[in-house]
Amino acid sequence: MKQTPQEMKIHRQFEPGTLSKSGFLGDDSRHIHDIVADDERLLSELGLSLDVVADALQALVNAGKNGLGDPVIVNGLEVTVQWDRGMGPCPFGEPGLYPKMTVSVKRLDDGSSMQFSQLSVHLIRKHGFFGGKGSVYRIEIEKLLAWGIV
Amino acid sequence: MLNQIFMTVAVVGGINTLLAILLVTAERYLANYGEKTITINGDRKLTVVGGQSLLASLKSDKIFLPSACGGRGTCAYCKCQVESGAGPLLPTEAPLLTRDEIAGNVRLACQVKVKEDLQISIPEELFNIKAFQAQVAALDDLTHDIKLLRLKLSEPKTIVFKAGQYIQLQSQPYPGVKEEVSRAYSIASSCQEMDCIDLMIRRVPEGLCTTWVHDHLKVGDKVHFTGPMGDFYLKEGTGPLVMVAGGSGMAPIVSLLHDLHDKNDPRSTAYLFGAQTGRDLFYSDEMRTFEQKLPDFEFIPTLSRPQPEDEWTGKTGLITVSLAEHLASINTSRAQAYMCGSPGMIKACIAVLNENGISSDRIFYDPFS
Repeated sequence: MKQTPQEMKIHRQFEPGTLSKSGFLGDDSRHIHDIVADDERLLSELGLSLDVVADALQALVNAGKNGLGDPVIVNGLEVTVQWDRGMGPCPFGEPGLYPKMTVSVKRLDDGSSMQFSQLSVHLIRKHGFFGGKGSVYRIEIEKLLAWGIV
Repeated sequence: MLNQIFMTVAVVGGINTLLAILLVTAERYLANYGEKTITINGDRKLTVVGGQSLLASLKSDKIFLPSACGGRGTCAYCKCQVESGAGPLLPTEAPLLTRDEIAGNVRLACQVKVKEDLQISIPEELFNIKAFQAQVAALDDLTHDIKLLRLKLSEPKTIVFKAGQYIQLQSQPYPGVKEEVSRAYSIASSCQEMDCIDLMIRRVPEGLCTTWVHDHLKVGDKVHFTGPMGDFYLKEGTGPLVMVAGGSGMAPIVSLLHDLHDKNDPRSTAYLFGAQTGRDLFYSDEMRTFEQKLPDFEFIPTLSRPQPEDEWTGKTGLITVSLAEHLASINTSRAQAYMCGSPGMIKACIAVLNENGISSDRIFYDPFS
């Protein structure tokens, strides 16, 4: 697919070593547009919307912040928010800067875990981007359902 | 038919891309704006070659505005007031400026091109910011995820800073990362020790600069930084001092403690350090030394989740609880508070400080944002 210079610039922002060490695409070879389209299709099949998912994740962030770095228990999930110095931009070039915040969520029953960031919430709400497969902060929609987050 | 459509789209797209590249190249190499004058704060005049960004033009004259993104227009640290000559606000700037800033002619220096004579205003203290070259004198583990980086200055050989200020360390490319980035780190050493600075650097998940420091930097390597910056430093007063910081937020607090010692400041001081477990504690010996050196200083570490192997006998719980306990034991009517940490921690502590009689005008902090 032919890309405009603007699209090429945006794509570079997702690559490893530009805005984050391992980037936002993981080992996913699909174009960003296709990643977004596939996840939106799945979301639609499951009867969910981007806002519902983003709101649910933001609720976890807000609850986790109250722990001041310690874990907080939310509906059978252990949520820990680690806040680091600095702010980061949206790789799509969207206005604003987002706190460097890692949100770790662990199931208390089986110990399995997932991670996302404050930027992840923005990427889902505004751009429908859940991360490339294999990327550090990739959020699997089915997992959110299975864990009772949405 | 379908092939013809695809071919047409591809050709038109290709032509557009080519034209865009030609325009950018022509703008960069062929446009001649001649010499331009930048008037700073009404009196200082710089003559620069037009066509560069305002940020780069100022840097070429050794005036360093804060910048963490290398001029990509994403960090918004390089805001400055441009009274005339900047042209209309660019789409790349508008999202990063408030309405008040736009009304006050604030612009992003990395996005404004010097095509006309400019009149700008910048804070006087920015003239004190210099570019430094230094050598890594030591790089030691403080905890499992925090390193102490000691830099010996090479050029210039000394730095003048106020305890509590920060510098911007410039990382170098390393495997997987092609570009330099700059990140802010508070100075952890005494401002009397002008030929070296200490930094405490926590590994940030996915962090470009902290990965460089933790995994690629070695003793003896040359590094570059700019500084000093920031307005977090000791204010005058006679009441007790309450300091709160955890993790690498300890860095400016250590510098402030050195400052109290260097100035023979007699103020009663407590430093409340919050950590999760024993493995997150560090600099305890140095804090005990401050307890000996300073006339009235207490180090109060608090663990929120001490482990059995820590054999912890000190305070436990959230830092806000320890803070409330400490405030109940002192006269807060003239007390000042100094904090460094996440906005969440600072917000929670401000509420406790306010509830215990320390008004916001006596609370100073360096938020991680």
